[in-house]
Amino acid sequence: MTDVVEAVRTPPAVMGLYDGPMWASIREGTMRLQRCLNCGEMQYPPGPVCPHCLSSNLEWQPISGRGTIVSWVVYHRTYLAAYPEPYNVVAVKLAEGPFMASNLEGETPAQSWIGAPVRMVYSTMLDGTVLPRFTLAATSAGKTP
Amino acid sequence: MSSSANPFVNAGRPASSRLSRAAAIVGVGHSDWVGDWKRTRAGEKPSDGYGYGAIAFREALADSGLKRDDIDGLIAGPATAYERLSEVLGIDPRWGDQADAVLSVIKAITAVESGLAETIALVYGNDQRSAKIQYGGPQAMGGDAFLSYVYHAPWGLTSQGALYALTFQAWKHARGFEGDDLGYVAVAQRAWSSMNPNAIQRKRITLDDYRNAPYICEPLRLFDYCQINDGGVALIVTTAERAARLGKPPVYIQGFGRRDLNQGATSLEPRLTDYYRPAQEDCARQAYEMAGFGPADMDMLQVYDSFSVHVPLALEGYGYCKIGEVRRFFREQGIGPGGKLPINTSGGHLSETYMQGWAHQIECVRQLRGECGERQVPNCRHAHYTSDVCGNAVSIVYSR
Repeated sequence: MTDVVEAVRTPPAVMGLYDGPMWASIREGTMRLQRCLNCGEMQYPPGPVCPHCLSSNLEWQPISGRGTIVSWVVYHRTYLAAYPEPYNVVAVKLAEGPFMASNLEGETPAQSWIGAPVRMVYSTMLDGTVLPRFTLAATSAGKTP
Repeated sequence: MSSSANPFVNAGRPASSRLSRAAAIVGVGHSDWVGDWKRTRAGEKPSDGYGYGAIAFREALADSGLKRDDIDGLIAGPATAYERLSEVLGIDPRWGDQADAVLSVIKAITAVESGLAETIALVYGNDQRSAKIQYGGPQAMGGDAFLSYVYHAPWGLTSQGALYALTFQAWKHARGFEGDDLGYVAVAQRAWSSMNPNAIQRKRITLDDYRNAPYICEPLRLFDYCQINDGGVALIVTTAERAARLGKPPVYIQGFGRRDLNQGATSLEPRLTDYYRPAQEDCARQAYEMAGFGPADMDMLQVYDSFSVHVPLALEGYGYCKIGEVRRFFREQGIGPGGKLPINTSGGHLSETYMQGWAHQIECVRQLRGECGERQVPNCRHAHYTSDVCGNAVSIVYSR
Protein backbone atom coordinates (compact mmCIF):
# COMPACT_ATOMS: atom_id res chain seq x y z
CA MET A 1 0.00 0.00 0.00
CA THR A 2 2.85 2.34 0.88
CA ASP A 3 4.37 1.66 -2.54
CA VAL A 4 1.09 2.44 -4.28
CA VAL A 5 0.78 5.73 -2.44
CA GLU A 6 4.41 6.55 -3.18
CA ALA A 7 3.86 5.88 -6.89
CA VAL A 8 1.04 8.43 -7.06
CA ARG A 9 2.53 10.94 -4.66
CA THR A 10 1.26 14.42 -5.43
CA PRO A 11 4.19 16.66 -6.43
CA PRO A 12 5.03 18.57 -3.27
CA ALA A 13 3.91 22.13 -2.71
CA VAL A 14 6.49 24.84 -2.11
CA MET A 15 6.27 25.45 1.61
CA GLY A 16 7.66 28.86 2.41
CA LEU A 17 6.96 30.61 5.68
CA TYR A 18 3.66 32.06 4.44
CA ASP A 19 2.35 29.02 2.51
CA GLY A 20 1.50 26.94 5.59
CA PRO A 21 -1.70 28.75 6.64
CA MET A 22 -3.00 28.65 3.05
CA TRP A 23 -2.52 24.89 2.76
CA ALA A 24 -4.07 24.36 6.20
CA SER A 25 -7.15 26.28 5.02
CA ILE A 26 -7.28 24.15 1.85
CA ARG A 27 -7.23 20.97 3.92
CA GLU A 28 -10.17 22.36 5.88
CA GLY A 29 -12.08 22.96 2.62
CA THR A 30 -12.13 26.76 2.71
CA MET A 31 -9.14 28.30 0.97
CA ARG A 32 -7.90 31.49 2.57
CA LEU A 33 -5.59 34.14 1.20
CA GLN A 34 -4.09 37.22 2.81
CA ARG A 35 -6.06 40.43 2.37
CA CYS A 36 -4.26 43.70 3.00
CA LEU A 37 -6.15 45.67 5.64
CA ASN A 38 -4.49 48.86 4.40
CA CYS A 39 -5.36 48.78 0.68
CA GLY A 40 -7.79 45.86 0.43
CA GLU A 41 -5.87 43.82 -2.15
CA MET A 42 -5.49 40.05 -1.93
CA GLN A 43 -2.32 38.25 -2.96
CA TYR A 44 -1.35 34.85 -4.35
CA PRO A 45 0.99 33.25 -3.62
CA PRO A 46 1.09 34.31 0.03
CA GLY A 47 3.92 36.63 1.09
CA PRO A 48 5.41 38.69 3.89
CA VAL A 49 3.96 42.10 2.92
CA CYS A 50 1.32 43.47 0.56
CA PRO A 51 3.05 43.96 -2.82
CA HIS A 52 0.59 46.73 -3.68
CA CYS A 53 1.29 49.02 -0.70
CA LEU A 54 4.05 47.24 1.32
CA SER A 55 1.84 47.05 4.41
CA SER A 56 2.42 44.19 6.85
CA ASN A 57 -1.15 44.46 8.06
CA LEU A 58 -2.49 41.31 6.39
CA GLU A 59 -5.42 39.11 7.41
CA TRP A 60 -6.21 35.58 6.23
CA GLN A 61 -9.70 35.63 4.70
CA PRO A 62 -11.70 32.98 2.84
CA ILE A 63 -11.98 33.44 -0.91
CA SER A 64 -15.26 33.13 -2.81
CA GLY A 65 -13.99 30.28 -4.99
CA ARG A 66 -15.35 32.04 -8.07
CA GLY A 67 -13.14 32.76 -11.04
CA THR A 68 -12.73 32.84 -14.81
CA ILE A 69 -10.45 30.76 -17.02
CA VAL A 70 -7.70 32.89 -18.56
CA SER A 71 -5.81 30.11 -20.35
CA TRP A 72 -5.50 26.34 -20.48
CA VAL A 73 -3.28 23.55 -21.78
CA VAL A 74 -3.57 19.79 -22.14
CA TYR A 75 -0.52 17.64 -21.43
CA HIS A 76 -0.07 14.77 -23.89
CA ARG A 77 2.98 13.40 -22.14
CA THR A 78 3.28 11.90 -18.72
CA TYR A 79 5.99 13.52 -16.63
CA LEU A 80 4.64 12.80 -13.16
CA ALA A 81 3.16 9.58 -11.78
CA ALA A 82 0.28 11.47 -10.18
CA TYR A 83 -0.56 13.02 -13.55
CA PRO A 84 -0.90 10.45 -16.35
CA GLU A 85 -1.62 12.04 -19.73
CA PRO A 86 -3.88 13.48 -20.89
CA TYR A 87 -4.56 16.03 -18.18
CA ASN A 88 -5.23 19.73 -18.21
CA VAL A 89 -3.94 22.79 -16.42
CA VAL A 90 -5.97 25.98 -16.27
CA ALA A 91 -4.98 29.50 -15.32
CA VAL A 92 -7.84 31.12 -13.43
CA LYS A 93 -8.38 34.75 -12.52
CA LEU A 94 -9.96 34.61 -9.08
CA ALA A 95 -12.88 36.93 -8.38
CA GLU A 96 -10.65 38.51 -5.71
CA GLY A 97 -8.06 39.49 -8.35
CA PRO A 98 -5.05 37.16 -8.23
CA PHE A 99 -4.31 34.57 -10.90
CA MET A 100 -3.95 30.93 -9.89
CA ALA A 101 -2.90 27.79 -11.78
CA SER A 102 -4.96 24.67 -11.18
CA ASN A 103 -6.91 21.92 -12.98
CA LEU A 104 -10.43 21.80 -14.43
CA GLU A 105 -12.38 18.76 -13.27
CA GLY A 106 -15.42 17.18 -14.89
CA GLU A 107 -16.99 18.63 -17.99
CA THR A 108 -14.80 20.77 -20.23
CA PRO A 109 -15.99 23.48 -22.61
CA ALA A 110 -16.58 22.32 -26.18
CA GLN A 111 -14.80 25.28 -27.75
CA SER A 112 -12.35 27.75 -26.22
CA TRP A 113 -12.12 27.51 -22.47
CA ILE A 114 -11.08 31.13 -22.13
CA GLY A 115 -13.61 33.27 -20.33
CA ALA A 116 -15.49 30.30 -18.86
CA PRO A 117 -16.69 30.97 -15.29
CA VAL A 118 -15.55 28.36 -12.79
CA ARG A 119 -15.94 27.59 -9.13
CA MET A 120 -13.48 26.01 -6.73
CA VAL A 121 -13.81 22.42 -5.54
CA TYR A 122 -11.54 20.50 -3.19
CA SER A 123 -10.13 17.24 -4.54
CA THR A 124 -8.48 14.60 -2.41
CA MET A 125 -5.60 12.98 -4.26
CA LEU A 126 -4.76 9.27 -3.86
CA ASP A 127 -2.04 10.12 -1.35
CA GLY A 128 -4.46 12.20 0.71
CA THR A 129 -3.27 15.63 -0.47
CA VAL A 130 -6.18 18.06 -0.83
CA LEU A 131 -5.96 20.33 -3.87
CA PRO A 132 -8.10 23.33 -4.74
CA ARG A 133 -9.36 22.73 -8.28
CA PHE A 134 -12.16 24.07 -10.43
CA THR A 135 -15.29 22.95 -12.25
CA LEU A 136 -17.33 24.87 -14.74
CA ALA A 137 -19.77 27.09 -12.88
CA ALA A 138 -23.26 25.62 -13.30
CA THR A 139 -24.63 28.92 -14.53
CA SER A 140 -22.35 29.01 -17.57
CA ALA A 141 -22.99 25.47 -18.75
CA GLY A 142 -26.70 25.74 -18.04
CA LYS A 143 -26.54 22.38 -16.33
CA THR A 144 -24.92 20.73 -13.38
CA PRO A 145 -21.52 19.23 -14.23
CA MET B 1 5.25 51.32 -32.44
CA SER B 2 1.72 51.04 -31.19
CA SER B 3 2.12 52.52 -27.74
CA SER B 4 3.06 56.12 -27.25
CA ALA B 5 3.07 56.55 -23.48
CA ASN B 6 5.50 54.48 -21.46
CA PRO B 7 3.36 52.42 -19.06
CA PHE B 8 6.10 52.12 -16.45
CA VAL B 9 6.17 54.43 -13.45
CA ASN B 10 9.94 53.99 -13.27
CA ALA B 11 10.65 54.76 -16.91
CA GLY B 12 14.17 56.01 -16.23
CA ARG B 13 16.39 57.27 -19.00
CA PRO B 14 18.21 55.28 -21.68
CA ALA B 15 21.71 53.97 -21.04
CA SER B 16 24.43 56.43 -21.95
CA SER B 17 24.84 56.71 -25.71
CA ARG B 18 28.58 56.77 -24.93
CA LEU B 19 28.29 52.99 -24.63
CA SER B 20 27.11 52.63 -28.23
CA ARG B 21 30.02 51.14 -30.24
CA ALA B 22 32.32 51.44 -27.22
CA ALA B 23 32.96 47.70 -27.29
CA ALA B 24 33.03 44.99 -29.90
CA ILE B 25 33.02 41.23 -30.22
CA VAL B 26 36.31 40.13 -31.69
CA GLY B 27 36.24 36.37 -31.31
CA VAL B 28 33.65 33.60 -31.28
CA GLY B 29 33.88 29.84 -30.86
CA HIS B 30 31.87 26.78 -29.99
CA SER B 31 32.20 23.06 -29.35
CA ASP B 32 31.33 20.38 -31.93
CA TRP B 33 27.56 20.47 -31.35
CA VAL B 34 26.78 17.82 -33.95
CA GLY B 35 29.39 15.50 -32.43
CA ASP B 36 28.21 16.35 -28.91
CA TRP B 37 24.65 15.47 -29.95
CA LYS B 38 25.59 12.14 -31.53
CA ARG B 39 27.76 11.07 -28.64
CA THR B 40 25.35 12.07 -25.89
CA ARG B 41 22.50 10.35 -27.78
CA ALA B 42 24.66 7.24 -27.85
CA GLY B 43 24.94 7.38 -24.08
CA GLU B 44 28.47 8.78 -23.98
CA LYS B 45 29.62 11.73 -21.89
CA PRO B 46 32.03 13.68 -24.12
CA SER B 47 32.82 16.30 -21.46
CA ASP B 48 31.37 18.39 -18.66
CA GLY B 49 30.29 22.03 -18.69
CA TYR B 50 33.84 23.23 -17.99
CA GLY B 51 35.27 21.07 -20.75
CA TYR B 52 32.75 22.30 -23.34
CA GLY B 53 33.47 25.86 -22.24
CA ALA B 54 37.22 25.30 -22.59
CA ILE B 55 36.84 23.97 -26.14
CA ALA B 56 34.72 26.97 -27.12
CA PHE B 57 37.18 29.37 -25.44
CA ARG B 58 40.12 27.89 -27.35
CA GLU B 59 38.20 28.38 -30.61
CA ALA B 60 37.25 31.95 -29.75
CA LEU B 61 40.83 32.86 -28.86
CA ALA B 62 42.07 31.44 -32.17
CA ASP B 63 39.29 33.28 -34.03
CA SER B 64 40.25 36.60 -32.41
CA GLY B 65 44.00 36.31 -32.87
CA LEU B 66 44.45 37.19 -29.21
CA LYS B 67 46.53 35.22 -26.72
CA ARG B 68 45.21 33.90 -23.45
CA ASP B 69 47.42 36.39 -21.62
CA ASP B 70 45.41 39.19 -23.21
CA ILE B 71 42.26 38.11 -21.36
CA ASP B 72 41.82 40.09 -18.13
CA GLY B 73 38.10 39.53 -17.56
CA LEU B 74 35.93 36.42 -17.49
CA ILE B 75 32.19 35.90 -17.36
CA ALA B 76 31.03 32.34 -16.73
CA GLY B 77 27.70 31.13 -18.03
CA PRO B 78 24.97 30.04 -15.61
CA ALA B 79 25.90 26.34 -15.56
CA THR B 80 29.50 26.71 -14.40
CA ALA B 81 31.06 28.31 -11.33
CA TYR B 82 33.16 31.38 -12.07
CA GLU B 83 36.12 30.47 -9.88
CA ARG B 84 36.44 26.92 -11.16
CA LEU B 85 36.02 28.02 -14.77
CA SER B 86 38.85 30.55 -14.33
CA GLU B 87 40.95 27.80 -12.82
CA VAL B 88 40.21 25.39 -15.69
CA LEU B 89 41.03 28.07 -18.27
CA GLY B 90 44.20 29.12 -16.42
CA ILE B 91 43.22 32.77 -16.01
CA ASP B 92 43.59 35.18 -13.08
CA PRO B 93 41.05 37.84 -14.14
CA ARG B 94 41.09 41.47 -13.04
CA TRP B 95 37.31 41.31 -13.11
CA GLY B 96 34.76 38.54 -13.42
CA ASP B 97 31.18 37.51 -12.98
CA GLN B 98 28.55 34.94 -13.82
CA ALA B 99 25.65 35.76 -16.15
CA ASP B 100 23.29 34.47 -18.79
CA ALA B 101 23.82 34.94 -22.51
CA VAL B 102 22.47 38.40 -23.01
CA LEU B 103 23.32 39.97 -19.66
CA SER B 104 26.90 38.74 -19.98
CA VAL B 105 27.38 40.92 -23.06
CA ILE B 106 25.89 43.96 -21.33
CA LYS B 107 28.01 43.37 -18.23
CA ALA B 108 31.08 43.05 -20.41
CA ILE B 109 30.37 46.37 -22.13
CA THR B 110 30.02 48.18 -18.83
CA ALA B 111 33.19 46.56 -17.49
CA VAL B 112 35.16 47.46 -20.61
CA GLU B 113 33.84 51.02 -20.68
CA SER B 114 34.58 51.61 -16.99
CA GLY B 115 38.07 50.14 -17.26
CA LEU B 116 37.42 47.26 -14.87
CA ALA B 117 38.75 45.00 -17.60
CA GLU B 118 39.91 45.47 -21.17
CA THR B 119 39.40 42.13 -22.87
CA ILE B 120 36.74 39.82 -21.50
CA ALA B 121 36.00 36.20 -22.33
CA LEU B 122 32.34 35.16 -22.05
CA VAL B 123 32.32 31.40 -21.69
CA TYR B 124 29.34 29.07 -21.62
CA GLY B 125 29.54 25.32 -21.12
CA ASN B 126 26.69 23.00 -20.27
CA ASP B 127 26.34 19.22 -20.01
CA GLN B 128 22.56 19.53 -19.62
CA ARG B 129 21.76 16.62 -21.96
CA SER B 130 24.22 14.02 -20.65
CA ALA B 131 23.59 15.15 -17.07
CA LYS B 132 19.84 14.72 -17.69
CA ILE B 133 19.00 18.16 -16.33
CA GLN B 134 15.26 18.47 -15.71
CA TYR B 135 13.59 21.61 -16.98
CA GLY B 136 10.30 20.33 -15.57
CA GLY B 137 9.16 18.45 -12.50
CA PRO B 138 9.21 19.50 -8.87
CA GLN B 139 13.04 19.74 -8.96
CA ALA B 140 13.05 21.85 -12.15
CA MET B 141 16.32 23.62 -12.92
CA GLY B 142 15.97 27.32 -12.14
CA GLY B 143 13.29 26.84 -9.50
CA ASP B 144 15.46 28.59 -6.93
CA ALA B 145 15.52 31.70 -9.13
CA PHE B 146 12.01 31.55 -10.61
CA LEU B 147 9.34 30.46 -8.14
CA SER B 148 6.83 29.84 -10.96
CA TYR B 149 8.96 26.91 -12.16
CA VAL B 150 8.09 24.90 -9.07
CA TYR B 151 5.16 26.58 -7.34
CA HIS B 152 2.42 24.94 -9.43
CA ALA B 153 3.85 21.41 -9.20
CA PRO B 154 0.97 20.05 -7.06
CA TRP B 155 -1.34 20.67 -10.04
CA GLY B 156 1.07 19.00 -12.49
CA LEU B 157 2.21 22.30 -14.03
CA THR B 158 5.97 22.04 -13.97
CA SER B 159 7.44 22.28 -17.45
CA GLN B 160 8.73 25.33 -19.29
CA GLY B 161 6.86 24.12 -22.36
CA ALA B 162 3.58 24.24 -20.46
CA LEU B 163 4.20 27.79 -19.25
CA TYR B 164 4.75 28.96 -22.83
CA ALA B 165 1.81 26.84 -24.02
CA LEU B 166 -0.38 28.76 -21.56
CA THR B 167 0.94 32.06 -22.91
CA PHE B 168 0.41 31.00 -26.51
CA GLN B 169 -3.13 29.77 -25.86
CA ALA B 170 -4.15 33.10 -24.34
CA TRP B 171 -2.34 35.10 -27.05
CA LYS B 172 -3.77 33.20 -29.99
CA HIS B 173 -7.25 33.53 -28.52
CA ALA B 174 -6.80 37.30 -28.16
CA ARG B 175 -5.39 37.69 -31.66
CA GLY B 176 -7.59 35.21 -33.53
CA PHE B 177 -4.42 33.38 -34.55
CA GLU B 178 -4.78 29.86 -35.97
CA GLY B 179 -2.71 27.52 -33.81
CA ASP B 180 -1.16 25.69 -36.75
CA ASP B 181 0.18 28.95 -38.17
CA LEU B 182 2.78 28.73 -35.43
CA GLY B 183 4.27 26.04 -37.67
CA TYR B 184 5.73 28.74 -39.91
CA VAL B 185 8.41 29.29 -37.26
CA ALA B 186 9.59 25.67 -37.08
CA VAL B 187 9.46 25.29 -40.87
CA ALA B 188 11.45 28.50 -41.51
CA GLN B 189 14.09 27.69 -38.91
CA ARG B 190 14.56 24.21 -40.30
CA ALA B 191 15.04 25.73 -43.75
CA TRP B 192 17.79 27.88 -42.24
CA SER B 193 19.40 25.00 -40.37
CA SER B 194 19.44 22.87 -43.52
CA MET B 195 22.20 25.27 -44.63
CA ASN B 196 24.08 25.22 -41.31
CA PRO B 197 26.69 22.48 -40.89
CA ASN B 198 26.74 23.13 -37.14
CA ALA B 199 23.03 22.39 -36.70
CA ILE B 200 21.94 19.10 -35.18
CA GLN B 201 18.61 18.98 -37.08
CA ARG B 202 19.07 19.73 -40.78
CA LYS B 203 16.18 17.93 -42.47
CA ARG B 204 13.66 20.40 -43.85
CA ILE B 205 10.09 20.04 -42.67
CA THR B 206 6.76 21.20 -44.11
CA LEU B 207 3.69 22.71 -42.49
CA ASP B 208 2.07 19.28 -42.89
CA ASP B 209 4.93 17.67 -40.98
CA TYR B 210 4.34 20.28 -38.28
CA ARG B 211 0.59 19.63 -38.12
CA ASN B 212 1.05 15.86 -38.11
CA ALA B 213 3.52 15.89 -35.24
CA PRO B 214 2.09 15.05 -31.83
CA TYR B 215 1.15 17.57 -29.21
CA ILE B 216 3.50 17.63 -26.27
CA CYS B 217 1.65 20.21 -24.21
CA GLU B 218 -1.31 21.31 -26.32
CA PRO B 219 -1.39 23.75 -28.10
CA LEU B 220 2.39 23.17 -28.57
CA ARG B 221 3.60 20.35 -30.79
CA LEU B 222 6.88 18.49 -31.05
CA PHE B 223 8.50 20.94 -33.48
CA ASP B 224 7.74 23.89 -31.19
CA TYR B 225 10.30 22.59 -28.69
CA CYS B 226 14.05 23.21 -28.60
CA GLN B 227 16.87 20.67 -28.97
CA ILE B 228 18.49 20.14 -25.58
CA ASN B 229 22.15 19.31 -26.12
CA ASP B 230 25.54 19.38 -24.45
CA GLY B 231 28.00 21.97 -25.67
CA GLY B 232 29.90 25.20 -25.27
CA VAL B 233 29.99 28.72 -26.71
CA ALA B 234 32.48 31.55 -26.16
CA LEU B 235 32.74 35.20 -27.17
CA ILE B 236 35.51 37.72 -26.60
CA VAL B 237 34.61 41.35 -25.99
CA THR B 238 37.11 44.20 -25.97
CA THR B 239 37.32 47.95 -26.45
CA ALA B 240 36.53 49.44 -29.85
CA GLU B 241 40.12 50.72 -29.91
CA ARG B 242 41.68 47.33 -29.44
CA ALA B 243 39.13 45.65 -31.73
CA ALA B 244 40.21 47.87 -34.61
CA ARG B 245 43.78 46.51 -34.35
CA LEU B 246 42.75 42.85 -34.68
CA GLY B 247 42.42 40.69 -37.74
CA LYS B 248 38.69 40.09 -38.10
CA PRO B 249 36.17 42.88 -38.72
CA PRO B 250 34.86 44.01 -35.30
CA VAL B 251 31.19 43.54 -34.54
CA TYR B 252 30.14 46.49 -32.41
CA ILE B 253 27.54 46.51 -29.68
CA GLN B 254 25.46 49.33 -31.07
CA GLY B 255 22.64 49.41 -28.53
CA PHE B 256 20.93 47.48 -25.79
CA GLY B 257 17.88 47.61 -23.55
CA ARG B 258 16.17 45.74 -20.77
CA ARG B 259 12.89 45.67 -18.87
CA ASP B 260 11.67 43.01 -16.45
CA LEU B 261 8.07 42.26 -15.56
CA ASN B 262 8.27 40.69 -12.13
CA GLN B 263 4.98 41.79 -10.55
CA GLY B 264 2.63 38.81 -10.42
CA ALA B 265 5.31 36.62 -11.98
CA THR B 266 4.70 33.51 -9.85
CA SER B 267 0.96 33.54 -10.54
CA LEU B 268 1.81 33.84 -14.28
CA GLU B 269 -0.23 37.03 -14.65
CA PRO B 270 2.22 39.04 -16.81
CA ARG B 271 2.64 36.21 -19.30
CA LEU B 272 -1.12 35.74 -19.64
CA THR B 273 -2.45 39.28 -19.84
CA ASP B 274 -0.07 41.22 -22.10
CA TYR B 275 2.24 38.32 -23.05
CA TYR B 276 5.29 40.33 -21.85
CA ARG B 277 4.62 43.01 -24.48
CA PRO B 278 5.04 46.04 -22.16
CA ALA B 279 8.52 44.77 -21.24
CA GLN B 280 9.43 44.12 -24.85
CA GLU B 281 8.26 47.55 -25.95
CA ASP B 282 10.22 49.34 -23.26
CA CYS B 283 13.30 47.22 -23.93
CA ALA B 284 12.94 47.98 -27.66
CA ARG B 285 12.59 51.71 -27.01
CA GLN B 286 15.86 51.76 -25.07
CA ALA B 287 17.78 49.59 -27.51
CA TYR B 288 16.61 51.45 -30.63
CA GLU B 289 17.23 54.84 -29.05
CA MET B 290 20.77 53.88 -28.13
CA ALA B 291 21.41 52.26 -31.52
CA GLY B 292 20.09 55.27 -33.38
CA PHE B 293 17.72 53.23 -35.56
CA GLY B 294 14.84 50.82 -35.26
CA PRO B 295 13.29 47.61 -36.59
CA ALA B 296 13.00 48.84 -40.19
CA ASP B 297 16.81 49.01 -40.38
CA MET B 298 17.52 45.54 -39.01
CA ASP B 299 18.81 43.02 -41.52
CA MET B 300 18.05 40.07 -39.29
CA LEU B 301 16.46 39.17 -35.98
CA GLN B 302 17.66 36.52 -33.55
CA VAL B 303 15.04 35.51 -30.99
CA TYR B 304 15.68 33.35 -27.94
CA ASP B 305 13.50 30.39 -28.89
CA SER B 306 13.27 27.73 -26.23
CA PHE B 307 9.85 27.41 -27.85
CA SER B 308 8.64 28.72 -31.19
CA VAL B 309 6.12 30.88 -29.33
CA HIS B 310 8.82 33.45 -28.59
CA VAL B 311 8.97 34.46 -32.26
CA PRO B 312 5.42 35.77 -32.82
CA LEU B 313 5.51 37.53 -29.45
CA ALA B 314 8.82 39.21 -30.35
CA LEU B 315 7.51 40.37 -33.73
CA GLU B 316 4.72 42.28 -31.99
CA GLY B 317 6.63 43.36 -28.93
CA TYR B 318 9.70 44.74 -30.69
CA GLY B 319 7.71 46.61 -33.32
CA TYR B 320 8.35 44.40 -36.37
CA CYS B 321 4.65 44.10 -37.07
CA LYS B 322 1.41 45.54 -35.81
CA ILE B 323 -0.62 43.82 -33.12
CA GLY B 324 -2.65 41.05 -34.69
CA GLU B 325 -0.65 40.91 -37.92
CA VAL B 326 1.82 38.14 -37.16
CA ARG B 327 -0.03 35.63 -39.32
CA ARG B 328 0.09 37.95 -42.29
CA PHE B 329 3.73 38.71 -41.59
CA PHE B 330 4.60 34.99 -41.63
CA ARG B 331 2.71 34.43 -44.87
CA GLU B 332 3.46 37.59 -46.81
CA GLN B 333 6.80 38.91 -45.52
CA GLY B 334 8.45 35.67 -44.55
CA ILE B 335 11.01 34.84 -41.87
CA GLY B 336 12.91 32.02 -43.60
CA PRO B 337 15.53 32.10 -46.38
CA GLY B 338 14.50 34.70 -48.94
CA GLY B 339 12.01 36.24 -46.52
CA LYS B 340 11.86 39.93 -45.74
CA LEU B 341 13.02 39.47 -42.15
CA PRO B 342 15.42 36.57 -41.63
CA ILE B 343 14.83 35.16 -38.14
CA ASN B 344 17.09 32.70 -36.32
CA THR B 345 19.28 32.15 -39.36
CA SER B 346 21.25 29.33 -37.71
CA GLY B 347 18.10 27.34 -37.03
CA GLY B 348 18.03 28.62 -33.45
CA HIS B 349 17.25 26.54 -30.42
CA LEU B 350 14.59 24.67 -32.38
CA SER B 351 16.99 23.24 -34.95
CA GLU B 352 20.63 24.23 -34.37
CA THR B 353 21.10 23.49 -30.66
CA TYR B 354 19.80 24.77 -27.33
CA MET B 355 22.66 26.83 -25.96
CA GLN B 356 20.45 29.13 -23.88
CA GLY B 357 20.88 32.14 -26.17
CA TRP B 358 24.67 31.99 -26.44
CA ALA B 359 24.73 30.50 -29.92
CA HIS B 360 22.34 33.20 -31.17
CA GLN B 361 24.98 35.81 -30.40
CA ILE B 362 27.75 34.13 -32.32
CA GLU B 363 25.37 33.74 -35.26
CA CYS B 364 24.88 37.54 -35.20
CA VAL B 365 28.65 37.99 -35.26
CA ARG B 366 29.19 35.57 -38.13
CA GLN B 367 26.39 37.04 -40.22
CA LEU B 368 27.75 40.56 -39.70
CA ARG B 369 31.22 39.36 -40.70
CA GLY B 370 29.77 37.65 -43.79
CA GLU B 371 31.00 34.20 -42.74
CA CYS B 372 27.76 32.25 -43.09
CA GLY B 373 28.17 30.69 -46.51
CA GLU B 374 24.97 29.33 -47.99
CA ARG B 375 22.76 30.88 -45.31
CA GLN B 376 24.45 34.30 -45.39
CA VAL B 377 22.04 37.24 -45.18
CA PRO B 378 23.12 39.53 -48.05
CA ASN B 379 24.88 42.72 -46.95
CA CYS B 380 24.06 42.18 -43.28
CA ARG B 381 24.78 45.42 -41.41
CA HIS B 382 22.58 45.30 -38.31
CA ALA B 383 21.43 42.29 -36.29
CA HIS B 384 19.00 42.42 -33.38
CA TYR B 385 19.21 39.73 -30.70
CA THR B 386 16.47 39.58 -28.16
CA SER B 387 15.32 37.30 -25.39
CA ASP B 388 12.29 37.39 -23.16
CA VAL B 389 12.62 34.62 -20.66
CA CYS B 390 10.26 34.77 -17.70
CA GLY B 391 9.37 38.38 -18.38
CA ASN B 392 12.97 39.59 -18.58
CA ALA B 393 13.08 41.33 -21.95
CA VAL B 394 16.65 42.07 -23.04
CA SER B 395 17.91 43.17 -26.44
CA ILE B 396 21.25 43.81 -28.07
CA VAL B 397 21.75 45.46 -31.43
CA TYR B 398 24.96 44.38 -33.16
CA SER B 399 26.38 46.36 -36.07
CA ARG B 400 29.35 46.22 -38.37
